[in-house]
Amino acid sequence: MDPIIKVNELHKSFKDLHVLRGISIEVQRSEVVSFIGRSGSGKSTLLRCINRLEEPTGGEIFIDGVDIHEPYIDINKVRAEIGMVFQSFNLFPHMTAIENIMLAPVCVRKISRQEAKERGMTLLNKVGLADKADEFPEKLSGGQRQRVAIARALAMQPQIMFFDEPTSALDPEMVGEVLDVMALMASEGMTMLIVSHEMGFIREAADRVLFLEEGKILEEGSPDQIFNQPQHQITRDFLGKVL
Amino acid sequence: MFNDYTKSRTFDDLRESAGRIPYIRQTRFLVSSCIVLLLYAAILFSMPGDGFLIRGVLTLFVALLIAWSLVVITDEMRSESLKIATVFSALVLLIFLFLRFNVTNSDEIVELFFNIEVIKKAWPYLVLGFKTTIALAFWAALLSTVIGLTLAVFRSFNNKVLNFFIIAYVDFFRAIPIIVLLMLIYYGLPFLNIRLSAFASGVLGLGLNSGAYVSEIFRAGFLSVSKGQIEASRALGMTPWQTIQKVALPQAFKSVIPPLVGNYVASAKDTALCSSISIIELLKAGTAQQSLNANPSPLIFVTVMYLILFVPLTRLCGYIEVKMKKTERKVNV
Repeated sequence: MDPIIKVNELHKSFKDLHVLRGISIEVQRSEVVSFIGRSGSGKSTLLRCINRLEEPTGGEIFIDGVDIHEPYIDINKVRAEIGMVFQSFNLFPHMTAIENIMLAPVCVRKISRQEAKERGMTLLNKVGLADKADEFPEKLSGGQRQRVAIARALAMQPQIMFFDEPTSALDPEMVGEVLDVMALMASEGMTMLIVSHEMGFIREAADRVLFLEEGKILEEGSPDQIFNQPQHQITRDFLGKVL
Repeated sequence: MFNDYTKSRTFDDLRESAGRIPYIRQTRFLVSSCIVLLLYAAILFSMPGDGFLIRGVLTLFVALLIAWSLVVITDEMRSESLKIATVFSALVLLIFLFLRFNVTNSDEIVELFFNIEVIKKAWPYLVLGFKTTIALAFWAALLSTVIGLTLAVFRSFNNKVLNFFIIAYVDFFRAIPIIVLLMLIYYGLPFLNIRLSAFASGVLGLGLNSGAYVSEIFRAGFLSVSKGQIEASRALGMTPWQTIQKVALPQAFKSVIPPLVGNYVASAKDTALCSSISIIELLKAGTAQQSLNANPSPLIFVTVMYLILFVPLTRLCGYIEVKMKKTERKVNV
């Protein structure tokens, strides 16, 4: 089967800073792939390049077999198929939880408000926040905000979900509730790319772990391989610090 | 206190603690200086009203009076009521002196500056002028909002070519004095066969100028919306236009309202400049009536009208600013 995401020799530089130095990956449908590595190793930039929040400086990206840098490609259509969850939640502060979720389906998918609301309530129910539908984000806790953000991304019914350090801005006691939702999605067969430092969760949920170092994939394998038999000294040092 | 060896006790400290207050802060000073000033004032009032000498004596007195008042009101040991009384009596004294040594007497002043007859006669024109001022301010505000918002939205697309023209517009219209702009439009454009009415010229001139400022205000508003908000919207597949409409604008509006209202008020005050291109707004109506009646009362009336209009508006600006600061939402949601 064709991979849903195929990245070929991806490079990204910010002025003098060469962040990604030739990354090639393939992700199959329903696969949960996790990226780990030290900060500044290019994990977040990689995700942001795949949905073109950052423009890559070199290489190719195929989503579902389509080169997303072809001029005729409408990047908004590509992005609609990729849900993204940010470290800093980025909920829209002037809208209630349900309005946050309804916005994109109504504007982009052009479904009726009624349908969007029903879909939104189903999702809020799924993330355990049905009673918070009419709250503004400022009234929600960090964990609740991130769960609303996940529901907002899911409302577009994307084929792929990106998680960019979804629990790093949360208080420790709220990490669990977000990871539970993510584990549920993984079990339902969602294709997920996760940048995270939650090694326990990655070990449980990921199908494959990639260790990035200085913009390159240093090591790749099943969680068992990476966590129990890391091949490189750098990987061993990193895991020794975070585990 | 006696065990406090960290502080060296100077002779001044000793004198203070012994109850020695500087002479200038004592009640004795207050009373004696008061008597001297009053004597001085009495001599002044008995002197003839003109001549070279009197100017010097008068100036010296005014300087002494102001200095003495300052000495009293800056002394934190004196009571508030004494300070208020000082300021009031000094002001009354100054007004009396002004009336005594000015050629006009008080009856003439009422007739000159607060002449009811003249104002009655001028009333319909002044009201008409007032209405024109309001209309000018309103249409100029509307035009400037349309211009400013459009420019700010295009600016947010970060297109280099567009940005060049927008920056050029903003620089040009901020640099050029409004009165020059008004003259150019009203007296210059007809040579290009573009004939605008005086009113339309006024609205256009004020609107073009104010639009430059409004665009900068909206731009700052857009910049205040965090990058994460824009990214979240774009990542959901929303177009740049949808992002501006649904995410950036509603958030920008909040931070934009206080400076925007301030700008409208400033622009409304600039309507007075339109009197130079023969628009009969409040100021023009005032000056016309003043020369017609050979009496400045209409100008006083015009001043009062401006005050009635703008004191509440400037107050409103301050109020909105405070209110907005209180309800600011947290950024990181």
